[in-house]
Amino acid sequence: MFNRSLGIVALAVLPCVAIAQQPAAAPAAPPPPAFAPSDLSPSGVRALAANCAACHGTNGKTQAGSSVPALAGRPKESLVNAMQEFKDGKRSATLMHQIAKGYSAEEIAALGDYFANQKP
Amino acid sequence: MSMNRRHFLQATGAAATLAALSGCATVGKASKARVVVVGGGYGGATAAKYIRMYDPGIEVILVEPNEAFVSCPISNLVLGGFKTIADVTTPYTGLTNNHGVQIVRDMATAIDTEKKQVRLAKGDAISYDRVVVAPGIDFMYEAIPGLNNAAAQAQILHAWKAGPQTVALRKQLEAMPDGGVYVLSMPEAPYRCPPGPYERVCQVAAYFKAAKPKSKVLLLDANGDVTSKGPLFKKAWNDLYKGIIEYRPNSKAIDVDVKGSAIKLEFEDVKGAVLNVLPPMKAGNIAAPFITANKRWCEVDWLTYESKVAPGVHLLGDALQIAPLMPKSGHMANGHGKACAAAIVALLNGQPPSQAPTLSNTCYSFVSDKLVVHVASVHKYDTKDKTMKTVPGSGGVSAAMNELEGSYAMNWAKNIWADTLA
Repeated sequence: MFNRSLGIVALAVLPCVAIAQQPAAAPAAPPPPAFAPSDLSPSGVRALAANCAACHGTNGKTQAGSSVPALAGRPKESLVNAMQEFKDGKRSATLMHQIAKGYSAEEIAALGDYFANQKP
Repeated sequence: MSMNRRHFLQATGAAATLAALSGCATVGKASKARVVVVGGGYGGATAAKYIRMYDPGIEVILVEPNEAFVSCPISNLVLGGFKTIADVTTPYTGLTNNHGVQIVRDMATAIDTEKKQVRLAKGDAISYDRVVVAPGIDFMYEAIPGLNNAAAQAQILHAWKAGPQTVALRKQLEAMPDGGVYVLSMPEAPYRCPPGPYERVCQVAAYFKAAKPKSKVLLLDANGDVTSKGPLFKKAWNDLYKGIIEYRPNSKAIDVDVKGSAIKLEFEDVKGAVLNVLPPMKAGNIAAPFITANKRWCEVDWLTYESKVAPGVHLLGDALQIAPLMPKSGHMANGHGKACAAAIVALLNGQPPSQAPTLSNTCYSFVSDKLVVHVASVHKYDTKDKTMKTVPGSGGVSAAMNELEGSYAMNWAKNIWADTLA
């Protein structure tokens, strides 16, 4: 009870607080990140692909019966297309559209190549 | 007494080690270097496997006291009664049989950075060229004085390290008469598994809804609001568990009354039939010498996962001072393990580590036995601030709770357990 009534008071004053803080909060949005250029060396691509493994299995090989699709041995073109369409919002997904946006076109091409060359 | 590498391999006393060694393809050959990994969770086990995958010429010894790996992710479903502890348990044998990782079933007691040795509770110290310290978290019981003794801790559980405590908490819930209140107290961020407490109350509420309809769930959150997937969890509580789950933000536990079965907040005591307290957390005790942030967490170089204060010591997972928006999750620890493995293999081969590491994360939460919500992110190395940052525009949460992601979540679990251990 005590907490709830406090909560209502806090809500009521919130707009004023937001306005009062605006000038202080106004200074420029944080600068864009200074990301390192992609590492597309063989070991760099291998490390990039290792991120996919948590859901899609080590080197793109899933466990038997997995509803998360395997990537190993699939044609490069189909992998790259799928990722690019996820990224562009042209293919519906639960989360891959959110993940794909974290990778550049060059990285997606390198990942497609990597998984196409893994034995299924 | 300690051993150098040759003595270690020849030692006849270390029966368990020798048994593990028999499955190792490199026995008899001199390895180029030895890495000792302390802790076989999502971070440590993954690092051990991937070092061997990337370079079988490196000897890897994993020091782990538990017989098998028990996953924290999915373990809340054991509390809901939808999974058993066996369902979330995976043996360590795959690491030995498939990758030649040597497993020493013992507790590491100290890292001697001068002698470059890991000291053990039972066995002789093990020498290393590089050491990976992946201890997960330990609890700051001093913040909850009434819990700062073994008897209290046996009664008021955390179940925040999956295993016996998970089973014991489920038993407490089963034994609770209908009409009782289950109270979960959670600390201020950062803590292990941001969405975990919010998932846990869903699981307990699902059990009560089916089996003990007069019982209630109370979540005391030290934070001002839900710290992860807030709108999705609040919708689940409202749509699925209205009248069962009560959420109280800004409700930090400052003590417990064990006899009175109550959690003490600043202005009131909250009684419950089953109390479940998550004290504030810090890097696991073995990592204490490497804690550099807020007396709780370990800072690392994000290119190598090497400690900022101890060369040759690499740290992983929940023990780390996280980068901005990086969760303390099993998925993230698995990613740390691989990035660290790649860096260690490069360093031990005289090559520079990658200057552009990438990490991704997906955390699924079960809001019922079948309905799931996720949060996902992608992190890349920022050369200016020398930390990992989320890629603008990437990441996000589920549009709504859904069953399809329930299927994906269980298969995520199977695939990441295999990626970590098989």
